[in-house]
Amino acid sequence: MSKPKVGIYGLTGCAGDQLAILNLEDELLEVAEAIQIIDFPMAMSGNDEKSPLDIAFVEGSVVNSHDRDYLKKIRQRASLLVAIGTCAVWGGVPALANEIPREELKQKVYGPVGKAFDSIPAQPLSSFVKVDYSIPGCPMEKRQFLQGVASLLHGDLPLLPTYAVCMECKRKENICLLQHRNQLCLGPITVAGCDALCPSHAIPCQGCRGPVEEANVASEVNLFREKGYTVEDIRKRLRAFAAPAEAIQSIVGKE
Amino acid sequence: MSKTISVEEVCRVEGHGGITVAIQNGEVKEVKFNIFEGARFFEPLMRGRPYDEIASLTCRICAICSFGHTIASLQATEDAFGVKVSPQTQKLRDLMMQAEMIESHALHVFCLVLPDLLGYPSAIHMAAEHREAVVMGLGLKKIGNTLREVLGGRAIHPCNAVVGGFGRLPSAEALASLQDPLKKALDDSMKAVDLLASLDNPDYAKSPTLYAALDSRGGIYGYFGEEVIVSNGQRLDIRQYRKLTNETTVPHSHAKHSLFSGKPYMTGALARLILNQEKLSGLAVEAQKRLRLQLPSDNIFDNNLAQMVELVFSLERSRQIIAELLREGMREEPLPPIKPRAGEGVGAVEVPRGTLYHRYLYDDQGRILEADVITPTAQNLANAEKDFRAAAGRFAADPVDSLAFKLEMIARAYDPCISCSVHLIYL
Repeated sequence: MSKPKVGIYGLTGCAGDQLAILNLEDELLEVAEAIQIIDFPMAMSGNDEKSPLDIAFVEGSVVNSHDRDYLKKIRQRASLLVAIGTCAVWGGVPALANEIPREELKQKVYGPVGKAFDSIPAQPLSSFVKVDYSIPGCPMEKRQFLQGVASLLHGDLPLLPTYAVCMECKRKENICLLQHRNQLCLGPITVAGCDALCPSHAIPCQGCRGPVEEANVASEVNLFREKGYTVEDIRKRLRAFAAPAEAIQSIVGKE
Repeated sequence: MSKTISVEEVCRVEGHGGITVAIQNGEVKEVKFNIFEGARFFEPLMRGRPYDEIASLTCRICAICSFGHTIASLQATEDAFGVKVSPQTQKLRDLMMQAEMIESHALHVFCLVLPDLLGYPSAIHMAAEHREAVVMGLGLKKIGNTLREVLGGRAIHPCNAVVGGFGRLPSAEALASLQDPLKKALDDSMKAVDLLASLDNPDYAKSPTLYAALDSRGGIYGYFGEEVIVSNGQRLDIRQYRKLTNETTVPHSHAKHSLFSGKPYMTGALARLILNQEKLSGLAVEAQKRLRLQLPSDNIFDNNLAQMVELVFSLERSRQIIAELLREGMREEPLPPIKPRAGEGVGAVEVPRGTLYHRYLYDDQGRILEADVITPTAQNLANAEKDFRAAAGRFAADPVDSLAFKLEMIARAYDPCISCSVHLIYL
């Protein structure tokens, strides 16, 4: 079998997931030998912008018609499309501004010139195209990207954790920030894979990886309320990274 | 005869931007650095949020400068509340910025610039014939990231730095274990200096330039300071940053342009080196000599060499800071008392691409009323257009492709971080 042709793209975002790939300092050259990276504008010039792709990795969220059209073009070229990072999977931090009308935002930020600027509420890739596989994280963990590439090379869809950060945290025997320190920790409803990074640094989980499957958001909200947090504070924390996610919207609303 | 040079998308840079230059009868008519990176409206979305989550959200503006955004953000909040951090915390933050310079400069010099100078589309392609250089570059990048992980908990978007200090104090053992790899990286970096010195450094855009950088603190070359020095001799307190960055909106860019007294200016490694030259010490001085980097300079390509000098400096300086921390003994410290109060705070720090400013206005509950973030790339856009103009004028007779390539190389010399630049001030 010839080497799979791969494209790596960023829509609107911080480039952290593409950077996570470039941060594979020990593995990058080996990865680049196992696959054929033909289109990677952030790291390469002279890109092949036309050939069909076996796999497209796409980071960032869709915030304007340029992103949307570019994403659709990538989808047409690619057999498999993989969303990398929380912006691509859930909309990410930019989706926080979705509740403020675009016209108001543009006027406030750019003044009269802003009227003509192209801007739509930030959405994950799945709002526009079929996504075959998602690697969440802000940024994604580079080892999960490596596992993903390895599985895809063998014709499998890789497995990612389906349990919560809370499980990883307990396994590490960290002090529970929610139970013992009454902090707004989203560990119980956030999908694992970071090895409970923040709670291991005594920082409550902010949910940067997005909700775990079947997250019980309602009971988490009740728990926070019992601990004395206001609905507004809980809303803000829950929506920070994955506001468009159904599990979160259905509980704390769109506003 | 007229022609238009259009670079639809500048590659090997962070984010999305293009260049358009119109030439008529050998005269440059129009120059645009088109920034079509999408708007994320970061500042308005901060409104109403509590102080303890601001740094972890604003760092998401940019992955490459996420440590810089975190630190500028923490400083702005601490300034607003009158919080003083301990000398140990300040040293660890200093180390965080050294680490960011190491990682970011290694990425830029080896993966984004060297392919141009050696004639390859990317570092991966370059590895076929220059494997040793690529492996060395990746190794330098890695030590920066390892240091970032030890200090910040994560190489991108650090979680461990909080208002007043750290969530978990980085361990003395982990820091001590980096001293040998840092020494090896320092030796490698001098080899990299020799490699870079052996290649021709272009000067396509040579033209008079105004520079601005923080006056580094304590008589030591570095990335923190309370005043901005401008190369025309003026000095500004960082609280007056708006006098410098004073922004205007232009229709072809989602990033605003900065003009100081009506003139564009450059911020970044070259500006820092020019304005803090006498404080540079150690092997970096030797590196500058070997690179034949004469200062002051009006050649933006010297920014690539200045980054190389800073890469050497930050590797050596990291070893010194770690040695100091270990000698003094790392101490678990309680966070200083944090009492939110209404008011304004400003934070500034030198990040790989230049001076970064965060300013917040808080209410008495410690919630954001107003936020303003001014990034170095936004400040550099107007100056980059000045350089495109200079190069287009000098090479007006060039074939379109050749001129387009020169313009792209000029854009890359700024090491632009376009995501960062589209920051959207909240007025």
